[in-house]
Parts: sequence; structure tokens; C-alpha cells
Amino acid sequence: MTDPARTKGRLAAAGALLSALGIAAVAAIVLHRPEPRLAMAMTGTGDARHGAYVAVLGDCAACHTAPGGTPLTGGVPLETPMGVLYSSNITPASRTGIGRYTFVDFVRVMRYGVRPDGTRLYPAMPYTAYARMSDGDLRDLYAYLRQDVVPVEQATRPSTMRWPFDMRWPLALWNLAFHHPAPFRPDPTRDAQWNRGAYLVTGPAHCGTCHTPRGLAFQEAGLDEHAQRFLSGSAFAGASPVDLRGDGAVAGWPAADIATELKTGRNRASAVSGPMGEVVEHSTRYMSMADLDAVAVYLKSLSPASAGRPLRFAPSGETMAAFMAARPAGRGARLYMDSCAACHRLSGLGEENTFPRLAGNPLVLERNPDSLITVVLGGARMPSTAGAPTGLAMPPFGWRYGDADIAKLVTFIRTGWGNNAPAVSEGEVRAVRRHLADTMAYTQPQSGQ
Amino acid sequence: MQGVLAALPAAALARHADGQTTHPSEQPVNRDNLGGRSVPAASQPARDDYHPAFFTQAEWHFLNAACDCLIPPDHIGPGAVQAGVPQYIDRQMATPWAAGAEWYMQAPFFDAKPEFGYQSRLTPRQQYRLGIRAIDQACRQEAGSPFADMPAEHQVDILRRIESGAITSPDLSLRLFFTSFLLANTREGYFCDPMYGGNRGMEAWAMIGHPGARADYLDWVGRDGPYPYGPVDIHGDDA
Ligand code: HEC
Ligand code: HEC
Ligand code: HEC
Repeated sequence: MTDPARTKGRLAAAGALLSALGIAAVAAIVLHRPEPRLAMAMTGTGDARHGAYVAVLGDCAACHTAPGGTPLTGGVPLETPMGVLYSSNITPASRTGIGRYTFVDFVRVMRYGVRPDGTRLYPAMPYTAYARMSDGDLRDLYAYLRQDVVPVEQATRPSTMRWPFDMRWPLALWNLAFHHPAPFRPDPTRDAQWNRGAYLVTGPAHCGTCHTPRGLAFQEAGLDEHAQRFLSGSAFAGASPVDLRGDGAVAGWPAADIATELKTGRNRASAVSGPMGEVVEHSTRYMSMADLDAVAVYLKSLSPASAGRPLRFAPSGETMAAFMAARPAGRGARLYMDSCAACHRLSGLGEENTFPRLAGNPLVLERNPDSLITVVLGGARMPSTAGAPTGLAMPPFGWRYGDADIAKLVTFIRTGWGNNAPAVSEGEVRAVRRHLADTMAYTQPQSGQ
Repeated sequence: MQGVLAALPAAALARHADGQTTHPSEQPVNRDNLGGRSVPAASQPARDDYHPAFFTQAEWHFLNAACDCLIPPDHIGPGAVQAGVPQYIDRQMATPWAAGAEWYMQAPFFDAKPEFGYQSRLTPRQQYRLGIRAIDQACRQEAGSPFADMPAEHQVDILRRIESGAITSPDLSLRLFFTSFLLANTREGYFCDPMYGGNRGMEAWAMIGHPGARADYLDWVGRDGPYPYGPVDIHGDDA
């Protein structure tokens, strides 16, 4: 839907509009309170049980339940360069929660990011994706939040955004330029499974929030498969959500491996870490196999983000042969042998379902190396899931090696065994280490609750 | 506007971290900022200008001389003193182990067979203090000088007789002191990770072809020929 050229066009259009119409028009936009259009059938009460599942799909708890806190009472601090934003209490408490929301109020928040009183939400709340949720799912979600969630009065902490970012009205202009509150429209040329996958990925499961790169105004560079850069890999705060399109290593997996990865946090050859570990832990592991299969089928249908990119993995026995012949390729290889080979093996093939395979690994091959560096510096722990309860861990190595050594080590695994990803510099490692000091807890999701 | 929207991705990753952390990049290698997860204490390998913290000067001379008898340097490998073993033992004396804090150390104290475990009322520190004093006393009686000042062959002979039970003391079982402490701790210090003060330069590991903290050489098992790589220590230094 959004390609960069069109986005720029919209920006320019928004700018022109502003200068032409002046203050009055701005005021009109800012004061406008969108009225959601709903199907007639939406007057009955929803199915709260299915609503609980929708809440899992949308991973509401990830942001609205503080670790160890009362469910959905919010107060989770989200750090931004402009200050700290706290998520809202979304229990049905009437004073401090959403107890007084009508269904229409709820839809307005979820689709337009506009509160009942007309104030705008920061898009840290992913209404940009939730806008695509069906009337029925929102109805059920609303029923769940109202009926099954215990109301707890807990005032939401005010954000500490710095001026001018503490003002919410400019978000109306951002919405005008970048938000597309159109509902999901099935593609009639595709089958039901594909369409279910498309709905989940682009809508409630909001995979693009992390996996789609962002434009100048931090808008996602595409909201569905029509945009080339949709889900083509991104980077933020020491993490690099991988390219999920045709040119990424995930696309090379059989669909069943993708579904297994999302269900259990690991598959034969790989494992999730960092923020993706949390997604699995709080959301995808509770998704039905049918839904996960649909997600996998949809992901595998995405074309490469750019044609003609060199093949990033062509298996080679040369690295292993060099180790066995006592001529490892430089210091990076030596460090790998010293610190990593006990688990990931000199062959880079790891051990099935236990130690990820680094040869051909999505995280290792990803253009942006941040998640890879984070795992090596800080270690990682697989989430504990019903299908795979053991939260196998990788120890941290940031204490053992300085930035220059880590850069050599990571460059080695990005080029060994036939991997073909760009080298990593000392500066890149330093930048990630800086982030890590603050967000360390995030590399090791708490397991099994 | 840009910053506001940066909140989006940060949402999942960055929750507010309380407390200040020193900037990690200020140190070449960071051992302190891993969120409280346990990492080995900073490495402090053996050094030339070591000053014992537990042992007195006289005890230190004894310890060096005894270690040199137990593992003398030769063409195969370093001696215990070059390897830093006395430093290792001195540093062990500062641990809870040396204070007996990890053992049941209350009465009754019986003379029992070795399979019943440690039965003495003496902590390892007391073992060293009393043991060294008793051995030096025995040496003075026999040769007029403390252990450290005796010729090497005589020293070895004294240790042999302690081990066999021929030299005894009313203060403690010298034989137990020798086998369970002096000799055992010398072996440990000789083959320990260098971060504990012994096995300087991992020479003892190199001597026996041990890969050290690499923890794995499965790919070489079953192959003809020696393992081709030198060892690595816990802090990641290669020999
Ligand atoms: C990525 C983090 C994130 C996720 C996931 C998320 N939210 Fe939010 N949500 C927020 C933040 C942050 C705010 C507050 C934004 C602000 O103050 O501008 C918020 C605000 C809200 C509000 C507005 C309440 C009010 O009046 O202040 C509602 C309703 C809400 N979220 C519902 C949900 C539901 C339902 C889900 C799951 C389908 C969900 N959110 C998932 C971050 C998130
Ligand atoms: C909160 C941010 C976030 C969200 C939301 C998110 N991901 Fe991820 N994802 C990441 C990061 C970071 C990585 C890289 C780390 C890793 O590979 O585990 C990743 C990696 C992956 C991988 C590769 C795993 C591997 O073994 O390397 C897959 C597959 C994936 N994501 C699929 C999805 C799907 C499908 C969704 C939507 C249901 C989704 N992600 C939503 C952040 C996110
Ligand atoms: C004690 C065993 C062990 C050692 C040693 C070890 N790892 Fe790991 N590694 C793991 C486990 C277990 C995981 C899966 C953890 C997760 O993803 O949550 C993992 C995950 C990874 C990943 C992410 C793979 C993926 O599929 O996303 C990379 C990259 C990695 N390790 C690299 C290294 C490097 C480089 C070293 C050496 C500095 C190393 N590992 C040492 C056990 C180990």
C-alpha cells in the first residue's frame, strides 16, 4: 500500500495542504474525531472466549502487563529518545481503565488511535496494524476485556515526553500522512489459508511493527505484501528483526519449520532470541497450529525485497576443513573455536533442536548484525513453551571479549561455512554494547509462567 | 515528530532501566554490566611481584621450597613455583573453604578411616599454619635449619618420611596435612585456570595437551595424530 514515493507524496501533499488552508484546517484535522463505520451485525455481544484468543494474537499483555504486575493494568514504561511513555490501564476499571468505553469508543482507539475525549495516542500503541482487525474480532476482544478482565483502578503514569513531543495534537497530522485505517480486504485470487495468514500478519499479530523498516517520520515502509519493503528487516535498540521476505533465510525454511519456530521458540536449525523470544512467549506459542501454518504460508509467498541480491548462503566444507587442518582463518575463527564450537560445533551445524545451526542461520545472515551482536554479547535463553519446555540458554560473552574481538568473531560466523553476509565493525559492536547495558533483562525472557 | 514515533519499535525492547550504569564502551572488556548475571571474577594470573597475604615470610619460604620439591621444573614442563602454585595456595587461604566454612566443623572429632571424610577440627588455614611450623621444627631438630634452607635431596627425603608417617607431630597429623593439603593444593594450583593464580601461561595444560576452557575436542576423537591447538583459559586468552 505504501511505497516510499507515495509516502513522500503524501507528506508533500500534507505540507502543501497546511500552508494553503492554514490554522483553521489544522484545527479541523486535529479536532476531528473519526466515527468508525461498523457492520449492522455488530450490535450483539461478542464472544469473550474468542476475544481472549484475539488478545493473544494482538499480544496486548506484552505492553499492557508489567512484569510481575496485575494483568493489563498498564504502566509499562516504553523508552523513547524523546522521553518515557507509559502504557494505559486497559482493565474495565471505570475511572482509570476503559470501563466507560463504548464499543464504538474502543474501535476508535484500535483503528484510529483516538481516545473517547479526542486526544491522540502515540503510535507506540500499534493501532496502525490493529486498524485492519475485523469488526467481529474487535467485538470479541471488547467483550473479553469488559467481561473477563478484572477491573483494577490504577492511574496510568503520565508520560515524560519532552517538548515538543509531549503535545499529542501533531499526531493527527502524522495520522493523516501515514495512517491507513482501511480494514483488511481478502485477496480473492488467493485461498482461505493464505488470506488468514495475511490477516494475522498484517493485522492483529502486527509483525510489521518490528520487521518492516521505517521511513523518515518513523512510519512503516509498507503495511502489506503490496509494498516491496514490507517485512524486509529492520533495526532498533540493539535488535535487528530479520528479513521475512523471499530473500531472507527464513523464506528458505519449509513452512512447517516456520510454524514450529513460532509455536515452540525453536526448530531443527534455529531459535528465537530477544524481542522475538517475547513475542513467542506471550503470543505465538498460544496461537493454533492452523493459524501458524497460515502465517507460514503467507510469509513464504512474499517476493524478495530486491531482485538480484547475491545468494547469501551456499554451503561449503572449507571452513570445517581448515579447522581440522589446524589452519583456521584468522583470529575470528580461533575465537569461535575457543568459545562457541562446543555447542554450535566446528561444522557450524549445531545440534538439532538444541543448539542453533549457524550455517545459513537467518539471524547470522541478516544485513543488520545488531541482534546477532546482542546474542553474542549478552547470551540468550529460548522461551519455555509447552512443546519445548527446556529454556536452553547461551552464555554471555561480552565480559570475555572486547569490541574488536567480538567484531572479528561475528565477521567470521557471517562468512564461515558458506555464509555470505557483510563484515561487522568494532564501532557496530560498541553501539550495541551501549544499548545492552540498559536493556539487558530483555535478552533473557523469563520463562514459563 | 520523528522521536515520538521512535517509541514504536522501542516499545518491545526498551523498558525503563533504573539506576546508572557506567558506560560500557569505556572499558576494553566489560565484566560488570551484564545485568547481574554471574560472570567469572576478573582474571588475576600469577605475577612476579607477588606478596603473600596469608603466609608469613618464613612460611612463604617453606611453601616455595616444598612446591619446588613436589613439582620441579624439567625439560617436560614448568615447575610448581614458576607456574605460580604458592600464589595460588596463598589466595586460596582467603576463601571460605580455607576457613572450613563449607564443611561440618563441629564435635565430635574422631580418628576415623579416610573413607569417612575429613574428621579434623583444624581448618585448612590451621593445617597450613601448624603443619609448616611442625615440619620446620622437625627439620631444625634434625639438621639445624628450617626446611627451606636444607639441600634439595634432604628436603625430598623429609617429605617422603612425612608421607609415609615416619615423621609425626603432636599438633596434627602431618601425613594428612601433606597428602590432603600441601600435595593436593599443589596439584590444583598447577593445573587450575590461570585466573586463580596458578598454571601461569597455561604451560601445564600445554604440557599435557589439554585444550583448557574450550571444553570440546570431539571432532578429533578417533583421529590419528595429536590435537593441534594450544589451550584457552576461562577469560578467553589463548596460549
Ligand atoms: C507495542 C506495545 C503495545 C501493544 C502490543 C498494545 N498496546 Fe495498547 N497501548 C500502548 C501504549 C504505549 C498506549 C498508550 C499510548 C499513549 O499514551 O499515547 C496504549 C494505549 C491503549 C489504549 C488506550 C487507553 C487509554 O484510554 O489511554 C487501549 C484501549 C489499548 N492500548 C488497547 C490495546 C489492546 C486491546 C491491545 C492488544 C490487541 C494493545 N493495546 C496492544 C502500547 C501497546
Ligand atoms: C517486538 C518486535 C517483534 C515482533 C512484533 C515480531 N518479531 Fe519476529 N523477530 C524480531 C527480532 C528482533 C528477531 C531477530 C531475533 C531472532 O531471530 O530471534 C525476529 C526474528 C524472527 C524470525 C526468525 C527467527 C530465527 O530463528 O532467527 C521469524 C521467523 C520471525 N521473527 C517471525 C515473526 C512473525 C511471524 C511475527 C508476527 C507474528 C513477528 N516475527 C513479530 C522481533 C519481532
Ligand atoms: C553452552 C552452549 C553455547 C555456547 C558455548 C554458545 N552458544 Fe550460541 N546458542 C546456544 C543456545 C542454546 C542458543 C539458543 C538460544 C536462543 O536463541 O534463545 C544459541 C543461540 C545462538 C545464536 C542465535 C541463533 C538463532 O537461531 O537465532 C547465535 C548467532 C549464536 N548462538 C552464536 C554463538 C557464538 C558466536 C558463540 C561463541 C561466542 C556461541 N553462540 C556460544 C548455545 C551456545
